[in-house]
Amino acid sequence: MQLHYGFDELKDIDFMAFIPIILPFFAVGILLVLIALIDLYRHRKTRKSLLMWTFIILFVNTLGPILYFVIGRKDSERL
Amino acid sequence: MNKFIVLIKKEFVQMVRDFKVIWLPIVFIFLGITQPIVTHYLPSILGALGGGQGITIDPSMTAQKGGEVLASTLGSQFDQLGLMILAISMMGIIQTDKANGMLAFILTRPVTVISYIAGKIVSNYLIAAFSVAIGYFASYLYVNYLFTDVPFSHMITALVFYLVWVLFIVSFTTMISTIFNSQGIIALISIVFLIGCRIIVGLSTVIDFVNSASMSKHAMEVLITGSVNSKAIDNALVTLVWIVLILFVTNYWIANKKFNHE
Repeated sequence: MQLHYGFDELKDIDFMAFIPIILPFFAVGILLVLIALIDLYRHRKTRKSLLMWTFIILFVNTLGPILYFVIGRKDSERL
Repeated sequence: MNKFIVLIKKEFVQMVRDFKVIWLPIVFIFLGITQPIVTHYLPSILGALGGGQGITIDPSMTAQKGGEVLASTLGSQFDQLGLMILAISMMGIIQTDKANGMLAFILTRPVTVISYIAGKIVSNYLIAAFSVAIGYFASYLYVNYLFTDVPFSHMITALVFYLVWVLFIVSFTTMISTIFNSQGIIALISIVFLIGCRIIVGLSTVIDFVNSASMSKHAMEVLITGSVNSKAIDNALVTLVWIVLILFVTNYWIANKKFNHE
């Protein structure tokens, strides 16, 4: 079993076979993260834990942006 | 009736402000296309990453029919992560109105409690049903491309059955949101109850008959076998009875001012 792959083996992979299929999958995920990050950036003055939400949005897969939209957007409305 | 339309419009303005009309469909599209892609590439993912020595993958297992994959989209994506996301996104549906005094304010106006609740549920159900349908169509397109074709009539029938279950999810979360005051408790109770309902489907026929989650099972059956279970209509009616009961409890709770607004 091969565990280590070199960079020179990248050209052996047939990228064109699966990129058109996988691309929408990543595009949708990145779109969600981008919307959350743009909203966070526009309200950066009023958000309390800015850094924490940035990491949650970036690193918690799928659920991070959702948690930000549901819970994280609350604190600005109180002001 | 006029106030009902106004309340629905207010809800939609609120949703646009929360970006809910954007992110909820995106999340369901994401969930919908995950299942076909992962199922399609499972053999090559296992071959490349897993300790593959000595394991032969039965080709008949991986060559699934389109209907089975679409059914597993409903069963293992929408019924687990999708259900949690729906419950989390709807947990503040009435609780936020209670917390900031909006509910008490609205009730001082000449608005009936029923039209308030109906406006809440209808608007939230429309957005939830729209998201689920969009995600389901995305999944359908992928399944037709990567696997065998699913007949359009089966797809629509399964979607209609599934949307009945979604209506139950929305109204149950609304009721819990009316009764309890903390968002965490609302999310916890609705997620645990709804997933519990989904897990016990299939244990016994008596429980299945009163269990709304069996609508989801009927939707999967339509996709896999292609025929409608004769119990599906009965189950849909029982689910509607549950929903009316839930509306009644919610109405009673608000009308008798059981909620405490600080």
